[in-house]
Amino acid sequence: MSERDVDKPAFEMRQVSKVYPGTIAVDKVDFDVFPGEVHALIGENGAGKTTLMSIISGSFDDYTGDIFINGNKVSLRSPAQAKKNGIEMIYQDLSLALPISVAENVLVGRLPRKGIFIDKEKMVSETFDNLSKVGLEHIDPMIPIEDISQHEAQLVEIAKAMGNNPSILVMDEPTSALSQEEVERLFDIIDSLRKMGLAIVYISHHLPEIFKIADRVTVLRDGHRIDTKKINDVTQEELVQMMVGKSVTEFYRHDIFSGEKVRLKVEKLTRYGFFHDVSFHACEGEILGIGGLSGAGRSELARVLVALDKRDKGRIVLDGKEIKSRNMAQALDEGFAYLSENRKTEGLATRLSIRDNILSALVPRLSKNGVYDKEKGDPVLMKLIEELSIYPPDPNREVSNLSGGNQQKVLMAKWIAVEPKVLILDEPTRGVDIGAKVIIHNAIEALAKEGRTIILISSDLPELVSLSHRVMIMRQGHFIKEMQKAECTEESVLLAANGEGV
Amino acid sequence: MSELEQKKTDLRSVSQTWFSKKLNVAGIYGIVALFILLGIFLQLLGVINNFMTTSNMLNIVDAVSMLGIVALGLAFVTYSGHFADLSIPTTMALTGIVAVQMLQFGFFAAIVSAFIVGTIIGLINAFAIGKLKVNPVIWTLALNYMTLGVIRVIWANKQIYPDMIASSERAVELFDNIYRLRFFNKIAFPMIMLIVLFFLFHFVMSKSKFGIQLKITGAAKKSAEYSGINVERVIGAAFVISALTATLGGLTITSLSRVGAWYNGAGYDFKAVTAIVIGGMTLAGGRGSIIGVLGGVLVIGLMNNLMTLLGVGTFSQDMIRGIIFIIVVGINAKTLRTMGRDDA
Repeated sequence: MSERDVDKPAFEMRQVSKVYPGTIAVDKVDFDVFPGEVHALIGENGAGKTTLMSIISGSFDDYTGDIFINGNKVSLRSPAQAKKNGIEMIYQDLSLALPISVAENVLVGRLPRKGIFIDKEKMVSETFDNLSKVGLEHIDPMIPIEDISQHEAQLVEIAKAMGNNPSILVMDEPTSALSQEEVERLFDIIDSLRKMGLAIVYISHHLPEIFKIADRVTVLRDGHRIDTKKINDVTQEELVQMMVGKSVTEFYRHDIFSGEKVRLKVEKLTRYGFFHDVSFHACEGEILGIGGLSGAGRSELARVLVALDKRDKGRIVLDGKEIKSRNMAQALDEGFAYLSENRKTEGLATRLSIRDNILSALVPRLSKNGVYDKEKGDPVLMKLIEELSIYPPDPNREVSNLSGGNQQKVLMAKWIAVEPKVLILDEPTRGVDIGAKVIIHNAIEALAKEGRTIILISSDLPELVSLSHRVMIMRQGHFIKEMQKAECTEESVLLAANGEGV
Repeated sequence: MSELEQKKTDLRSVSQTWFSKKLNVAGIYGIVALFILLGIFLQLLGVINNFMTTSNMLNIVDAVSMLGIVALGLAFVTYSGHFADLSIPTTMALTGIVAVQMLQFGFFAAIVSAFIVGTIIGLINAFAIGKLKVNPVIWTLALNYMTLGVIRVIWANKQIYPDMIASSERAVELFDNIYRLRFFNKIAFPMIMLIVLFFLFHFVMSKSKFGIQLKITGAAKKSAEYSGINVERVIGAAFVISALTATLGGLTITSLSRVGAWYNGAGYDFKAVTAIVIGGMTLAGGRGSIIGVLGGVLVIGLMNNLMTLLGVGTFSQDMIRGIIFIIVVGINAKTLRTMGRDDA
């Protein structure tokens, strides 16, 4: 540490601000990162993280303040300037082209040539060198991106960035789509990059991750830098307090569930290749968690339950009546609802208003003889905006203008509005800030108290463990274990999901 | 609820005032007004004559009513996020030819069979694009050429004339009157059709269950599917509507020209798309309105009228329309991108 203190920071910004029309998104922020250091940047959605990152990546030509790289003042007013100064970005949404090969993705823009042709041999060997830096030696550089897993794609993204020999690497929520064990592997890679002397800016919502990987942490709130701390000098509670501006007394509740009226019974449900002979039941008012790694077949199970996909065999019984929906509209009428995991592509129509989104699954019910009654949806709309404190509380606001947390609340409101008997939630709080998370958790518990059955699919272990009354563990398409509330801890669920301790 | 639930400034909000919203809606009619002012100005300068007369104003609407009918139906396809139905030209030609051919069984049989043929074309599009999810531009382009082939094979290169085929004088007269019937000696029947369709479609697009579901489908198809909307049926319906208005357009244009021929309707695909885009409906779908599309049609009508009064040749007019289309689409895409919209 003492040695580093004499070094110059690899990257430093002083009093940097960025003004959007009407608002100051980033207000006189100081931020620096040293070579061989992981500096975490945290804050709620809308705190200014994304704006700050965009400044680093050269996306704005109208920021104010000074930026220094290795002590030299530089101007980062275009992405090309940022790249020239050794800055590489790794975005939350991958920027890889799915149908083309790993090699072409990694070396895009600098493919080796022999005359006018691509030098394939050199392309393969260069890609291999880059991939080996991130522990992906086993991947064939010639297979297309769509054939490798999400986690491997994330590492390819890093390999691609590494190919430009950066000295500063900025990562935005790199773990949001990864399972726990994949996160561990990513952290090993980040650690080795740190040892190679890279300066890494790590943006995340996920506090436990920060404590595992970061050396220092800076908290942003409402565009201001609240504080920068060494990670060993701060606790999780203190960070949360800095992020939200108030102390969080009670984060998760622990209710004991005592209902026993069976609402949903699933017998030997199978979709070949995805999940097999899945049987379970869920009671009225119960929150049934489904844990497992990504790719275990949890979302596929949900899609079959709401008839988005066809089942190959098995029975679904709701309140004693066998359900044979042929499409999602019928499943909705029967009382099923499904909050899908990808809010931007499957959940919301971001181009439309809050009103249109919240009421989108209710259109048939608000219509009579083919005529849509716009006013009829207003009471439930206003009630949900109020209850979930969707901000801004203007039903005509376009959803793309909302922060990620508020978008997720809109999605939640959409499915509360249909008043389902069984609500399946697939990663209901992925990538949202703590404020929104608490509101959504409260809403889930309120729904259960009303007697609705909740099926909670989540990779967020604290969420899964604290909200669920009972957890089923799914692995490779099978239900392998059922855990009661008492035996559920983050560790035991994680072990079971990895196929251990069964 | 929790104490975390605090209001904070929404840093990403884009300020949108009441005025800017109204301007968006009024935009196209602002352009309409601008063209009218331009016409008056040119007339005052003495460059053109007879612009600001009732009969010229009626002429303008009259001249674009066929285009309007086709564009209003096509707007549903664009609104659904499927760009355009390029099978419109030959749908118009084929339904017109079929109607003329069937005049031998009387006027009623002619109209019914034209609509049957139009519906079949619409259903073929609905199946291919809704159910099989074929690229709409490529598919309808292919279907357009296939239909052209059908016409050429069955009717060879013959043009067929109502008065040589029809069973009675009465049938010919009725068919001729699709275009020529005038109310109060002034208001043409196609104009009446346009006005009726305008109110009907405006209601359907903005107030009906189908219209709302079409909007959600157009804005985000996958989300619509995940909301329990039968997107295949919704998209299919849009293509059927487009084929039906193309049928109306086909009957009208055939009635006007008094001949059933393969080239009836040529160019209507592009003209209609131009009207839709000028009218503020984005090609990506889910945004725009029937009111805007009608405005777009009127702009094209005014533009054509002024150019004709100024003595601009037909080919130059085509060129000018093309340039305007490119400018409008370009500006639209640029604006949306600057605003950070996903549909740029």
